[in-house]
Amino acid sequence: MANIEDLKEEAKKLLREGKVKYIIGYGAGTNGWPAAPLFIKKHEDVDKLVWNPTCVHNLVRFLVDEKRRKARQKQPDKRPVGIMVKGCDSRAVVVLLQEKFIDRNDVYILGVSCGKTGVVDDAKLSKKMGGKKAKKVEVDAQDRFVVTTEEGTVEAAAEELLAERCLECKANFPVIYDVLSGEKTKRPLDKPFGSLEKIESLSAAERWSFWKEQLDKCIRCYACRSACPMCYCDECVVDSINLAVTADTTADEKAQRIRWVQRSAESSENLIYHLVRAIHLAGRCIDCGECERACPLDIPLRFLNKKLEKEAKELFGYEVGFDSALPALISSFRDEDPQDFIR
Amino acid sequence: MAEDYEPRIVAFLCKWCSSAGSDLAGVSRMEYPPNVVPIQVMCSGSVSPLYIFSAFNKGADGVLVSGCHPGDCHYIKGNYYARRRLNLVKKLLEYIGLEPQRFQMSWISAAEGTKYTQIIKNFVKELKPLGPQTKMRRNP
Amino acid sequence: MEKTLAKKSFPQWIKKLGSWSVYIPRKDKEGRWNYVEADGGEVGLEVLQTTLPPKKILFPQREVFLEFAMTPAGGRETLEVKEVLPDVKPTVIIGARPCEARAAWLLDKVFGGEFRDVYYWKRRDQTSLVGFACTTPPSENCFCTSVEGSPHSEEGLDLLLTDLGDKYYVQSLSPKGEKLISAAKDLFEEPKPEVKKQVKAAHAESEKKIKRQLKDARPIAEKLKGMFGSPLWDEESMSCLRCGICTYLCPSCHCFDINDEIENSSPLRGQRVRTWDTCQFPDFTMHSSGHNPRPDKAARLRQRLLHKFQYFVQVYDKFMCVGCGRCITLCPVGIDIIKVLDKVRENGA
Repeated sequence: MANIEDLKEEAKKLLREGKVKYIIGYGAGTNGWPAAPLFIKKHEDVDKLVWNPTCVHNLVRFLVDEKRRKARQKQPDKRPVGIMVKGCDSRAVVVLLQEKFIDRNDVYILGVSCGKTGVVDDAKLSKKMGGKKAKKVEVDAQDRFVVTTEEGTVEAAAEELLAERCLECKANFPVIYDVLSGEKTKRPLDKPFGSLEKIESLSAAERWSFWKEQLDKCIRCYACRSACPMCYCDECVVDSINLAVTADTTADEKAQRIRWVQRSAESSENLIYHLVRAIHLAGRCIDCGECERACPLDIPLRFLNKKLEKEAKELFGYEVGFDSALPALISSFRDEDPQDFIR
Repeated sequence: MAEDYEPRIVAFLCKWCSSAGSDLAGVSRMEYPPNVVPIQVMCSGSVSPLYIFSAFNKGADGVLVSGCHPGDCHYIKGNYYARRRLNLVKKLLEYIGLEPQRFQMSWISAAEGTKYTQIIKNFVKELKPLGPQTKMRRNP
Repeated sequence: MEKTLAKKSFPQWIKKLGSWSVYIPRKDKEGRWNYVEADGGEVGLEVLQTTLPPKKILFPQREVFLEFAMTPAGGRETLEVKEVLPDVKPTVIIGARPCEARAAWLLDKVFGGEFRDVYYWKRRDQTSLVGFACTTPPSENCFCTSVEGSPHSEEGLDLLLTDLGDKYYVQSLSPKGEKLISAAKDLFEEPKPEVKKQVKAAHAESEKKIKRQLKDARPIAEKLKGMFGSPLWDEESMSCLRCGICTYLCPSCHCFDINDEIENSSPLRGQRVRTWDTCQFPDFTMHSSGHNPRPDKAARLRQRLLHKFQYFVQVYDKFMCVGCGRCITLCPVGIDIIKVLDKVRENGA
């Protein structure tokens, strides 16, 4: 994996010269996961930055927070924010630029390349270590993972521990950056969308029972929505809070207020919530996997969004997160869009 | 299932073409099954995926979205957006295992009263053997 | 009452509890534990932490309060409202961790007192908790001993079982516990004299194994009183995603939302429903005027910590946090409540 000394030097310079407000990067974690998001305001703290295969988090979510913070200030500091991004994360920045949610001047992108590997999956790591806490994960010269626990080190081939999404990675180095740390090596891709085959090959009845079983687990904590950088709507369609209830609000008004989805975690409501979220992310989801990682009940959410990513590519030739000048998927069309499903 | 099961279809019809086409069917006294709840929208491009999910959530057995033929949209491009967006909705619903016959889209012009009746007749025929829709329905 | 139960008799005891609804922890095929209804299946007794705590049984994610409908009567429509109280069979939760039972005991204080929550108590009165003393900490992040709990705490439990190798030492802590023992009297034996010493040793051992400590929790509670405006909250909440997992999965968190769910708008028919909610969502404190007293993450993180470690102490003289460590293990960005409180303790020092 990339050695980020050059990136740290750049970060120190940016902070010393006051060119950025603060830097969002990865630092050491405390609860057993070796990495956690870190916010650096002073150049002396830059040495706390780390880069290793446990840096799974998509930090682009914090750009949304930054925008909200600026909106609340009377005289906002207009300097950009520095952010460490992996290849996948950089595609999220591209989507935010594409939607004009942020300006290119709002962000100074410190890109890191994943080289020939990627980040580890916490479930796979835990299984491999037999439940022992991993203190450190590194990549050796042969691109194998080396995991250090209290009791020693264990080696593993990359495929054993890599996150599922890394096996279908489309961008192992950032597609947009101001500085880049690491090599721009192209990775031989596993079959793109290969992970979907298992579900697509099931019959309709089997698919239904798979999704029903998974979505019945949902407790509607909305962690998936909170972790996603693209879910930045101030008012989400499932919350429907824009009816201010006062003493004079009639029962009729309350009854007729638009409630697309009920709050309770019932089978049908959970399904509608997740379908709505998947459709709202069509052409916007870049498969950072944060939704699935955040979910406390381990619902395989990536497979919902991935399906639409595949259809966008195969039906409409649309690739997400590479070109910020592209129009959004669902507010554009081609004359040759398929219409065989229309009677 | 019961012999007297009648599927309920919610049809989102664009005002300028499809809804007019359904009116033509009515005015010309053409017979077609009464299973449809027609909802007039200004343009098929204004149909949000939420309407479709919500229709199924409230108990619709089938949902139809119908608009003007490509090139004839009153708002020039609306039906092209619909064509793309609703294709994604259809793929998503099939992916989670909903029967593909339940969601349909069609191009029906203001002159095609006959086509409207045929679409509805076929729709009802395809839905009857599937039985009531319980997968997305609230409190089935 | 104290007895011992041979481990091989344990499954037979469960079988004799037919007149109770029995909940046990079970592993699913991906290795995750959760409380499910025992249906004659195996009872897994390895020391573990379930994802969802037993509060989901006492305080379900969705609870119907009442049903309403407009009914035509004498040519006019009238609104009929019907209260819906939970109809609960006697229930027993087997395998609760002492911290989770302690959380139930804390919830009893919140939902009891001067204004009793009738829905909660309908379930609580019918529910017995059978706890297993933790021989090893179920989680890397357990710290129950730091918040006045312990791996063999009795609060909230009706029976406490301590693993002694080939048998369990069974302590009955309430009439409900005695009832559970009498359901299979013959399986239980009088404890031999050396057993008590073994139990004491086992309990002391288990306390030593707790890996994480929060030092000086009571002084921290005092210090928090003066830290409402501290910039510490802003720094510590920078990486918070306000996903709500910490509160949804906390055994003692109990904030809820009440909504009218309309099944049919004409004629009007619907239910008033209580669902889980969390102080971590931005619109939790949204007023109908549009003002929000907790508009940012700093305010919400502060709220969570003050509620658990200061307000509850002030009102009930107990920590609301039971030290199960779920919030630490499951936080997607690694916000660690122990580390934050360590910073509180050192603040200004």
